[in-house]
Amino acid sequence: MSNIDLLGRRNFIKGLGAAAGVAMASPAMAVSEKADGVKWDKEVEVLIIGSGFAGLAAAIEATRKGAKDVHIFEKMAYFGGNSAINGGLFAAPGTPMQKKEGVQDSVDRMVADQLKSGRGIADEALLRHVASHAVEALQLTMDAGAEFHPYLQQLGGHSVARTYQTSVSCGAGITQPLYKECKRIGVNTHNRSKFEGFLVGDKGEVVGVKMRQNYHFGEDQPGKVLNIRAKRGVIMATGGFAQNVDLRMAQDPTLTSEVGCTNAPGATGEGMYEMFRLGAIPVHLAHIQSGPWASPDEGGFGYVSNYSIYNFPHSMAVNRLTGKRFMNEIADRKTRADAELACRDEKGNALPPILITSYKDSKKHPNTKKVIKYNVGWKFDTIEELAKHFDVPLKPLKAQIEEYNSYVKSGEDKQFGKNMTKAKDKFIEAPFTVVRLWPKVHYCQGGVQVNTKAEVKDSFTGKPIPGLYAAGEVCGGIHGVSRLGSCSIPECMVMGMTAARSVMKA
Amino acid sequence: MKKLNIVLALVLGGLVSLSAQAVDQRPWHKEVIGKDCKTCHDNGIKQFPSDQACLQCHDVDDLVKQTARSEEDKWQNPHNNLHYGKDLPCQECHGEHKAKKPLCSNCHTFKFDKHKE
Repeated sequence: MSNIDLLGRRNFIKGLGAAAGVAMASPAMAVSEKADGVKWDKEVEVLIIGSGFAGLAAAIEATRKGAKDVHIFEKMAYFGGNSAINGGLFAAPGTPMQKKEGVQDSVDRMVADQLKSGRGIADEALLRHVASHAVEALQLTMDAGAEFHPYLQQLGGHSVARTYQTSVSCGAGITQPLYKECKRIGVNTHNRSKFEGFLVGDKGEVVGVKMRQNYHFGEDQPGKVLNIRAKRGVIMATGGFAQNVDLRMAQDPTLTSEVGCTNAPGATGEGMYEMFRLGAIPVHLAHIQSGPWASPDEGGFGYVSNYSIYNFPHSMAVNRLTGKRFMNEIADRKTRADAELACRDEKGNALPPILITSYKDSKKHPNTKKVIKYNVGWKFDTIEELAKHFDVPLKPLKAQIEEYNSYVKSGEDKQFGKNMTKAKDKFIEAPFTVVRLWPKVHYCQGGVQVNTKAEVKDSFTGKPIPGLYAAGEVCGGIHGVSRLGSCSIPECMVMGMTAARSVMKA
Repeated sequence: MKKLNIVLALVLGGLVSLSAQAVDQRPWHKEVIGKDCKTCHDNGIKQFPSDQACLQCHDVDDLVKQTARSEEDKWQNPHNNLHYGKDLPCQECHGEHKAKKPLCSNCHTFKFDKHKE
């Protein structure tokens, strides 16, 4: 069906399990301990774990607020975490580009869109905090040198166009400038450093961490564990657990190793689970989001994801069995992922649906050329060729295109109620570009509970755990059932900055 | 090249006979390093080499030139790529004693014809 190396991924995950087993059996078990009588190997001022958006933003902000000795520890060999490989999409209300394009938007409107997608269980206070500081965070990325496409995008579930995207169409367009900025301002960065547990003081406060040096991910190689004291506090920016099949299946048994994943390999969740052991409150762990724009023809996020995110507003998603549309192409992520998973052949086997776009419109996205070049998408001169290639019944397909084009003309989608604003004048006509769609596990809405100061709450006292802060995907509850696209980067950036401000005040 | 000669001289000069363990090694590395495992295993024989080990002889900027791609695909250069720039440690894609896939293949279908798995 596809060229994804599922077996390889499974073996890789098995290997992980084995390595974890070894670590558990050894005396240096990964758990938090009392700091009484601990011999400190090292002392730092601000200690940040994880080097994605949240960790990098926290390091820069802490330094700006006067910290002299900020350290980022990263488990993997390379910096940037999952942030370095995502779509680089950044939503903010009331931006300069919205003013230029005449888009009416506000903090209230963005929060309202997110609450709707969150289906009643999102954390309004946190959403409001993030939306209120999103422009400030966008500015921080630009100050560090991030560059953005000169147009706004309207992503699924958003009522207006409010999304910036880096000019390289990837989060690396932000993590690379932030990382360089960290180096420039003297932040200390340590790769191959694995968090092994907290060191806790008499009053239950976090005073430091155990950190394994020279750690090689997925390998059975011990390294040495150091006790590191954090004078001001520890900021956990360790991300989600989408790559940990055991943990995600514990929450949602349908997310087996057969379901692909867009995340970086390091997104395995041990930082989050260690905070639970310490007393943090778990929120919404079972809400794990799959990206409806992913392709079964490549691994991870790849090239197709950004291609389809850009193209969905003026494209038609078609069930190959019927030749008909089956969803609003810009509904929120969960709605679309569920609709795609329902596309199956007569025997019930997966039959990934196709996204049909006019080449004239698709080619405006820089990924289109690459999608075709690397054989993860195709160009067709006629509808007959297209139908034959994907084995779609021709007559219904032709009729569907005609019907859809009438909606483009009238501006009203009578089939699925799609907002046709961005589809204006963009009729589906030859030549076409086509990609296959199949959801991949993309984002964990669940995590530890934090307040608007990025303090981690204790499940028994209801008070913040002193010395412990968290930011980014490792936190839970903010988005509720379904996170809107491009709302994670502002969250990570704002909460990273917030954590830094709190740690500097503490 | 200068660095290479220095290492060569060091290795040839200080070559001691080690137990002839059957360990996979690239032929050109055999000529330069011989059996002195410590040349690369700077963290101790039973540990992985440090991220600096390969850079004793290999220069990142030379590698960037060798694997450069056209302007359109310039960020697909494994030694200077979009996601990690020139900072990706060698061992993420290369293993002296075992086959490895390029890290890019986690997400992309690029072809690297000269890559030895």
